[in-house]
Amino acid sequence: MRTAVPRWLVPLVAGIIVVALPLVLPGFFVILLTEIAIVGLFATAFNLLMGFGGMVSFGHAAYFALGAYAAALLVKRAQVPMLLALPAAPLVAAAGALVFGFFIVRLTRTYFAMLSLAFAQIVFTVIFKWTSLTGGDNGLLNVWPPEPLKSPRAYYYFTIVIVGLSLLALHAVVHSPFGYALCAVRENPRRARFIGVNVRRHQLLAFVLSGFFSGLAGGLFAFFNGSVFPDFAYFTKSFEPLVVALLGGVQSFFGPLAGAVGFKILETYIARQWPVYWPLFLGAAVIAVIVLLPKGFVGLVEGRAWRRRLVVHK
Amino acid sequence: METITALFPWITNGPLILVQVMSGLSVGMFLFLVSVGMSLIFGVTRIVNLAHGSLYMVGAYLMVTLIGFLPQRPWAFWLALLLAPLGVAVVGGVIEVALLRLIYRRDPLMQLILTFALILVIGTLVLIVWGPDNKSVPRPEALAGSVRVFGQPFPTYYLVVLALAPLVAVGLWLIFYRTRWGMLIRAATVDREMLGALGVDVSRLYTEVFMFGSWLAGLGGALAAPTVAVALGMDGDVLTTAFVVVVIGGLGSFAGSFVSALLVGELQSFGILIFPAISIVLLFALMAVVLIVRPCGLFGRPEE
Repeated sequence: MRTAVPRWLVPLVAGIIVVALPLVLPGFFVILLTEIAIVGLFATAFNLLMGFGGMVSFGHAAYFALGAYAAALLVKRAQVPMLLALPAAPLVAAAGALVFGFFIVRLTRTYFAMLSLAFAQIVFTVIFKWTSLTGGDNGLLNVWPPEPLKSPRAYYYFTIVIVGLSLLALHAVVHSPFGYALCAVRENPRRARFIGVNVRRHQLLAFVLSGFFSGLAGGLFAFFNGSVFPDFAYFTKSFEPLVVALLGGVQSFFGPLAGAVGFKILETYIARQWPVYWPLFLGAAVIAVIVLLPKGFVGLVEGRAWRRRLVVHK
Repeated sequence: METITALFPWITNGPLILVQVMSGLSVGMFLFLVSVGMSLIFGVTRIVNLAHGSLYMVGAYLMVTLIGFLPQRPWAFWLALLLAPLGVAVVGGVIEVALLRLIYRRDPLMQLILTFALILVIGTLVLIVWGPDNKSVPRPEALAGSVRVFGQPFPTYYLVVLALAPLVAVGLWLIFYRTRWGMLIRAATVDREMLGALGVDVSRLYTEVFMFGSWLAGLGGALAAPTVAVALGMDGDVLTTAFVVVVIGGLGSFAGSFVSALLVGELQSFGILIFPAISIVLLFALMAVVLIVRPCGLFGRPEE
């Protein structure tokens, strides 16, 4: 029974664990936890679209990469300090999401997914081909954070604070009137329009917000990784938040976060041992979930029960 | 006008433009083979096969293997060209029977995610089988050189591809509009339930259509193999371009794929002259415009 636990207890315990873990775990796990936090933010931002807006983007790597490259380029090419470069990441990504989203939200479902994929390939191509600016295939190296944040532990806390604030903001968005209107649009766009919701504007705003936080995740990842590569915008990267959200559950706000924990732990152990087989494993896992466990993430769209729960369960 | 000629000196060079048009047509030909298969599969099964670029890649890699395996005779190339697409058709058949058949009644987004996952699976399998290094397929000796067209050198191989284009298009047209099988396909794109109710084995038709679409993608890959580096990234490149073709032409439309493949081929060919680095951006710009003006493509029907 959920009701037996006071509402404040779960966040408190989670908060203590998050703060205390790096103090007891070896450095390797601190790095892993940092990555989990970043991927969790990316997937949660993605799920604002998929879970709450009913819009599946196949090109979210674009906004992740825009953020990562915006921050890295400012540091590398304009010698902007990291703390000033990082805020540019979500802003540039949001600007990109605004421009692309303007076209993408005009389409629905299959066409929506495919146009988002196409725009992401544009971003990938531009990054890949514009060698003089982006370094092309070689990427941009040595984008480490400055001294006080350089140690993995320090960067972990820095990341946790930013990711935590972002999750709070996203949570507030989901439970705002805007968030409910977005769910209404997902459930039945026509009815939503009849009661006066501007469907496209809501979808576009959700798209821009999602791009904003994806870009922030990209910016955080750039300094975490110390380098950025065109791969960040490649379509396999777009697959990542999708898998994470699907595995964790698109039903709930925190599902993608849980998915990120499972996904990253799996990736760490499988991808390190058999890097070549990792995409195979990833693809096969997704296919298996879709084919064998149709109720695993009860019909993203076919089952309606979870949607009701999603709206009622605050 | 003077500024235009200063910017683009080739614009007064008639022969060069004609050669560029021809090379655009041959690029359009490869695109047509891939996108018509994708469009055909969508028309009948309502599945957007995102792994279609991967099937194209498998076609090219099979070509590499077959050329290496067959004796070095003039006919080896043509035999490989016959066998490689058949191999891809078999791969497509396996995918359809083992996976897609299980999810036809599911949410379209789940189907889309599954074919997306297939890209990863096929990509990794290709990496395991053929290794990470780029491969190349030599052009058959008779077609290795170039001929002069309007005084400009033009690769003979492309000329052959160009000659094949109308053959394939007419052949497909005959299949779609003059055979019973083609009639069934066209009927399935209009109303699958009714077709099943009339006693047609729709499930078998799905498998056949998927295999045929895969065969076309494989043929595209096999034909393109001697013109490009056969590499692991080619699935994504082809997928995005074929996808642009299909969206511009309209999903499920044969005529749409043809017109739009040639259009996109030309756009790529001239885009490289005008904006060498960002010719692909032109493509997506065109697609965006088409989607805004006609969301279901030039020849498409509205989504159900």
